[in-house]
Amino acid sequence: MAVRLSLVVWLLAVSLAVPALAQTASPVSPAISATTSAINSATPLSVRVVAYDMDAKYNAKAHSLDASETLTYHNLTGQALDTFPFHLYLNAFQPTSTWIREGEREGTRGPGFEKWDNKSYGAEEIRSFEVVGQGDFTSQLQYIQPDDDNKDDRTVVQVHLPKPIPPDGYVQFKIKFHDQFPETLARTGWNRDFVLGGQWFPKVGVWWHGAWNCHQFHFDTEFFADFGVYDVKLTVPQYEVVGASGIEVSSVNNPDGTKTVAFHGDDIHDFAWTASPHYLIYNDTFQGSMGPVKLRIMMQPAHWNQAERHARITKETMDHFDRWYGPYPYKTLTIVDPDPGSEAYGMEYPTFITSGTSWFMPKGLLLPELIVEHEFGHQYWYGMVATSEFEDAWMDEGINQYTEAKVMDSIFGPSTSNANLWGVTAGESDVDRLGYEGVADLDPIAKNGWQYADSDSYGGATYNKTALVLLTLENLIGEDAMRQAMHTYFLRYRFTHPTKEDFLKTIEEVSGKDLGWYFNQAIYGTQVLDYEVLKISSVPVDWYEENLNETKGETEYISNVWIHRKGEFVMPVEVEIKFDNREKVREHWDGQDRWVRYAYQKRARIESVEVDPDHKIYFDRNTFNNSQTAEANRGPARKLTNYWTCIGQFVAQFLAWWLV
Amino acid sequence: MNENRNLVSAGAEIASGNKRYVVWFFLLNLMFAHFGATAFNDQARGILDHSLYADKLLHGFDAAVFLELLARPEFGTLPSAIHPAMMFAVVFFLVSLLFMPGVLLGYASDHRLPRDEFYRTCGRNVWRFLRLFLFFTIIAGIVAGILFGFFNALATAADKTSYERLPFFMQFVGAVIIFLVLTVIRVWFDLAQADVVLRDRPAVHKSVAAGFRKTRRNLGRLLGSYVVIAIVALAVLVAGILLWHAIVPPSSVLGAFIVGQATLLLLLATRFWQRATAVAFYVKEMARPLVDEAQPVPAFVAPVVP
Repeated sequence: MAVRLSLVVWLLAVSLAVPALAQTASPVSPAISATTSAINSATPLSVRVVAYDMDAKYNAKAHSLDASETLTYHNLTGQALDTFPFHLYLNAFQPTSTWIREGEREGTRGPGFEKWDNKSYGAEEIRSFEVVGQGDFTSQLQYIQPDDDNKDDRTVVQVHLPKPIPPDGYVQFKIKFHDQFPETLARTGWNRDFVLGGQWFPKVGVWWHGAWNCHQFHFDTEFFADFGVYDVKLTVPQYEVVGASGIEVSSVNNPDGTKTVAFHGDDIHDFAWTASPHYLIYNDTFQGSMGPVKLRIMMQPAHWNQAERHARITKETMDHFDRWYGPYPYKTLTIVDPDPGSEAYGMEYPTFITSGTSWFMPKGLLLPELIVEHEFGHQYWYGMVATSEFEDAWMDEGINQYTEAKVMDSIFGPSTSNANLWGVTAGESDVDRLGYEGVADLDPIAKNGWQYADSDSYGGATYNKTALVLLTLENLIGEDAMRQAMHTYFLRYRFTHPTKEDFLKTIEEVSGKDLGWYFNQAIYGTQVLDYEVLKISSVPVDWYEENLNETKGETEYISNVWIHRKGEFVMPVEVEIKFDNREKVREHWDGQDRWVRYAYQKRARIESVEVDPDHKIYFDRNTFNNSQTAEANRGPARKLTNYWTCIGQFVAQFLAWWLV
Repeated sequence: MNENRNLVSAGAEIASGNKRYVVWFFLLNLMFAHFGATAFNDQARGILDHSLYADKLLHGFDAAVFLELLARPEFGTLPSAIHPAMMFAVVFFLVSLLFMPGVLLGYASDHRLPRDEFYRTCGRNVWRFLRLFLFFTIIAGIVAGILFGFFNALATAADKTSYERLPFFMQFVGAVIIFLVLTVIRVWFDLAQADVVLRDRPAVHKSVAAGFRKTRRNLGRLLGSYVVIAIVALAVLVAGILLWHAIVPPSSVLGAFIVGQATLLLLLATRFWQRATAVAFYVKEMARPLVDEAQPVPAFVAPVVP
């Protein structure tokens, strides 16, 4: 009886449980491995959500690739998941895609196709899609367009599983896919016999803030993915020199003239690779605070004499980041000098960056240094602090642009950190201001990357304005506080996906200041900051005397200074008034009103007035009107006019030389 | 080689004996360029004269600040500064076209050319020089167009290889060849101009033909002379720029003006040197047959006249 009763109870329990079991898939046995061979750490550094195991064979003649991918996904969302979206980025390079349409609309940075060239065609086709334990879903894949209504865009595909994956469960996808690489348009593809494999495999979206984040590939947006482990085997012709994210595990020559090179990456969220028969390899090592980092610099033969230059800036940058923000934990960094003329330069992938130079690159022109510094910076602001490049482009590009200014200024000097050639100089912050001024009031910094007015506005706000806003912020809270805040932000949010609020709150917390008034205008608003010295005057007190004899140092003047806030951005400023007896007066204006007037009665006339005399504000839209001198200084205009005249003469002579 | 040297030195002798032409043309060049820069100066002054920020342009040359200046709405559009400069460059070209006949006659003359004769020659040859200019433009335009197209195609083909420097060297070689070919055409028309002026020949096509024949027969000698002088011009330009960079402090407007103008004066002088070389050649090689052929005429005609 007891047995019968227990049997009934057991059957009842089973019958109740069956519907539930029917709805959720049983967990896949293999968990994501806890390997650490690619990092200078004994334990994993990230919460590993994904494990990609890929085997790809590259056809160098057709610029295509066939691969199999096993993706293990760990459901850490806290809820059952029955839908999984995947990025198919290479499908952006098709004439009807959203990426191309937006590029055509831009006509600026864009491809500017007058005629579609089939060499630009790229594709990522899923040949088979199996969910382990649930069957083949190839025919049930659906292209979706979460951001626009362009039904022809195929950069996101979605699969619906009949059996949801329970919280903390695993699911394994086995995907076979075929890639057709485009001739490089942006970041990925081939050029002559070079290839850069970026965004080349079906990549699952990120569950973020209670929903899937898997946007279409837009012209101005980049990428977002979860951390995990990558094991990738690349089969390429034996003559190719190969580089990739992570560490190289093995390289085996095959009988058919190919070789298979295996790579492994820990705690990274993307994987890129490159191959070309022409690379020359320059090896170096950086001693970081977490251990040695092997630097593998893959140079074009014509740039070999710049390999040392690349190594030097890489190590100096890594040293600054290590000291200022935190350690670089990976064992390798691959720096790729891409094929000349390709659109693959200046790009970041985890432990793998592309630089950009030319065979003629004078030392005073710091283009390679700028690119290497910037892309290495992304190892922190994107690579480890993995913000969403769709929603918060400024948090990787802009914060990185700010740290670029700090590092480049520190190495090369503030006024020569971009160029110092034949007497012509350019500093990082001046160049940033140049990029920002033209688009100052179009978009706020905090905006979805694909919703900016245009590419110029996207670039001006996310890169340049952010850098200028953070440089100014540094002057508000102090350089040490800012560095400490950045250090705290990095350590607190590395290997996570922080939001803009996380970043801004960290700064407020570390600095101990309420900066809402600043962030609301600078980050969330489109207010433009523009202070000007409206006018100055010095009138003798005895102006009515008929035979007034003005004598320097004796005559008493009533002087007035008008400061005008032309823009909507309200910010306290200092004003410095210099008199012709060398006396200086400093005023502090809260900037609340539209204008302010300062009056003085002294035995001296005003010589000059300057708003923000310590140059603490970097994003004043017009710096020329920040000061006014009583006497004109014709020197600058004369100098430029002399240049202009000489050029005019030369052109006239050239014309007459050949035509008469 | 010796002949080349003789021609070049003969040209130098003529040009140095008539320095006033170079000086006058240089002053015109400077004056027109000054007019052409007035708009730029006015636009820049409005922003820079009372700004402390302008110091970054005076005590150095901050490229970003300069571009910031050009981007200011109150500066106006860049074309509004470029157009006057271009217009006055064209004016200088027209003035050169107008006065060059007088210069050529002056070069051929063994005495200082009276002012009225100079202007008369200029006036008499205006239309002829204009026609020569048109001839030159058509011929040089077609030849240069073909050569540019050819070398661009070569550079494009070179760009498909993995040798990064190849397109550059292809373009460089192309530029040198185009320069040499255009120099040959320039020599040809310089001789045609000399022929028009010195023979006072209204039918310019005959001068063009004569210039072509002589150029073809003396190509190496003439081209060599012109190239040598062009190399001197290039050296002057490079030396001027280096000198400017080495000895002129960034804030010295006067120093920059002096070095710049000295360079431009010497540059202009090299072109006059080339023209003087052409005249020297013409006087020696082309005028002589005219005299030789002219002498037998009376002897040949004499029996007929009685």
